[in-house]
Amino acid sequence: MNVVVCVKQVANPELQYRIRDDALDIVRDNLTFQVNGPDEYALEEAVRLREAHGGKVTAIAAGPERVTEVLRQAMAKGADEAIRVDLPDGREFDPSYTGQTLAQAIQALDVDLVLCGVQSDDYAHGATGPILASHLGIPHASVVTRVEVEDDRVRVNRELEGGLEERVTLPLPALLTIQFGINEPRFASVAAILKATRQSIQEVTAASAEGASRLTVRRMYIPEVTQQAEMLEGSVDEVARRLAAILREKGLVPEG
Amino acid sequence: MGILVVAEHRQGKIQDPTWEVLGKAGEVAVSAHTEVKAVLMGDAVSDLASELARYPVNEVLVVEDPRLKDYTPEGYGAALAALLEHEEAELVLTSHTATGYEFLPRVAADMDRPLVTAAMDVSLVDGLVVATRTGYNGKVAVEIAMEGGGPAFVTLRPATFTPPEPGPKRAPVTPVDVDLSALQIRREVQGYEKPESEDVDIAEADVVVTVGRGIKKKENIRLAEDLAAALGGVVGASRPIVDNGWLPRSRQVGSSGKTVAPKLYVACGVSGAMQHLTGMKGSQTIVAINIDPTAPIFSVAHYGAIGDLLEIIPSLLRELEKA
Ligand SMILES: Cc1cc2nc3c(=O)[nH]c(=O)nc-3n(C[C@H](O)[C@H](O)[C@H](O)COP(=O)(O)OP(=O)(O)OC[C@H]3O[C@@H](n4cnc5c(N)ncnc54)[C@H](O)[C@@H]3O)c2cc1C
Ligand SMILES: Nc1ncnc2c1ncn2[C@@H]1O[C@H](COP(=O)(O)O)[C@@H](O)[C@H]1O
Repeated sequence: MNVVVCVKQVANPELQYRIRDDALDIVRDNLTFQVNGPDEYALEEAVRLREAHGGKVTAIAAGPERVTEVLRQAMAKGADEAIRVDLPDGREFDPSYTGQTLAQAIQALDVDLVLCGVQSDDYAHGATGPILASHLGIPHASVVTRVEVEDDRVRVNRELEGGLEERVTLPLPALLTIQFGINEPRFASVAAILKATRQSIQEVTAASAEGASRLTVRRMYIPEVTQQAEMLEGSVDEVARRLAAILREKGLVPEG
Repeated sequence: MGILVVAEHRQGKIQDPTWEVLGKAGEVAVSAHTEVKAVLMGDAVSDLASELARYPVNEVLVVEDPRLKDYTPEGYGAALAALLEHEEAELVLTSHTATGYEFLPRVAADMDRPLVTAAMDVSLVDGLVVATRTGYNGKVAVEIAMEGGGPAFVTLRPATFTPPEPGPKRAPVTPVDVDLSALQIRREVQGYEKPESEDVDIAEADVVVTVGRGIKKKENIRLAEDLAAALGGVVGASRPIVDNGWLPRSRQVGSSGKTVAPKLYVACGVSGAMQHLTGMKGSQTIVAINIDPTAPIFSVAHYGAIGDLLEIIPSLLRELEKA
């Protein structure tokens, strides 16, 4: 069972972002990066499938040189091989472009299952997986909360809105986008982290996906907060006192 | 030319986000002087077609086939692509739901057309579609021109647009015969399940105190429990708290959890992701305690207590104790 797992390196969502003067991108100095949240679950699922069925796990990240960091982390957590597909910064807003780039690298592999995360922490397109499945010509399922492989089929639960789950099966090869919370991702041991620093990462330069791109950024900006909340700022006690007064005024504090 | 809205339906019911998409599509059509057609794919769906026809659309196009009885991305994809051979459209819209963002990106890729998902706005001017969405946890907005049209594919963020009212007029319902002879659906639908739980029903409570990742540790949830007790309410959670196993799934507020609309909603260390806001924006009074004054939760909150919740909640509890 050969599983390919797509892991993305994203800018830390807790940062404050600034917009470039030309309003076409964010300012990229001083960003810090981390692995995309749901991709950790996708990786863990891939490693568990290999542990149960044999085969190998290949982690793929598209991005600049820097993304080898998340590939090393993936190897420390159990990926057997890692591939970096070159993709310059600045196309994060365009999943068609990313999908096409990743597809070029994956097409060359012998795969039974491709796992993506449900969405990226930066742009939350939720689209790269389905786009990839289209390019690879394989069936897919999004927002998966349970995976069971039986012979040449995979049985999955998909999470719909309001807590409803849909059960579907797909023939392999297939692509799944993995939802948060499907498993408990493991921590890497120090020995595994050390070992991963010595493992090699295959570098692939995909042909430019420029033709696939039909999106142009017109303007990037910091959105105005539409409904201005009354902001209580100051010392902790001041804030708490004002908030308590407001809640009392509105009759929201039970008597006694 | 015009705008097509792909209706989402499940178990014999049009899904709520579809009405919002119809609302937005109507707006775009008026300013672009064009038409809106609803697209319904399924098997034996005439009741749903007449329901759609009561809404302000120019036409309801129906594609029926036994293989479309259950929704699958392959079935919807093939039917929509075949339909687009008859129907010239500049823009295809559907909602950004687990269904919408599962099939529409695939169709756009199959047809090699431009795609934007989770848009919070969309316009059509002189044939050019421009979509606006957010990035970086809602902290940045980006306006994207979708070049090459024919058509542009967009999923719209739920809980963003106003659904239209049904009117007295009936739009024509037109069955469309498309060639699906080559269609092969590899995905099989087995059924649905809804995990039951016996926990408290947060949707019934007058006061919900919700904890998000800003709570940092499981032990700190006690603070939220104390606050909920002082306010006569119950504790809810954002999804990551539930995924961590710190609170049961029944406490989750949001698109994949429960929708709540209490008298008072206190969001403690919740950033306000789209999927969370969907589940609580109807609350009467919303207070957000957050260390980051730019967090998207403040787009729906009425009061913002800015600071470390681990300090603010204890201080607030002391204030509430004072008679
Ligand atoms: C298909 C799908 C369905 C989903 N369904 C849901 C759903 O139903 N419900 C849901 O909630 N999410 C859902 N999500 C997840 C959602 O996208 C967000 O990831 C999630 O809501 C973020 O949770 P959070 O606000 O607790 O965490 P974060 O986004 O990490 O926010 C933490 C917040 O805490 C603040 N903070 C940090 N430290 C402190 C401190 N000391 N004091 C005060 N504030 C602090 C930070 O400023 C930040 O704003 C879903 C995602 C997907 C893909
Ligand atoms: N640059 C990338 N490199 C590797 N995987 C990616 C990349 N971009 C997106 N993905 C995968 O696609 C998923 C969904 O991303 P998105 O469509 O951007 O929300 C992520 O969880 C990853 O698994």
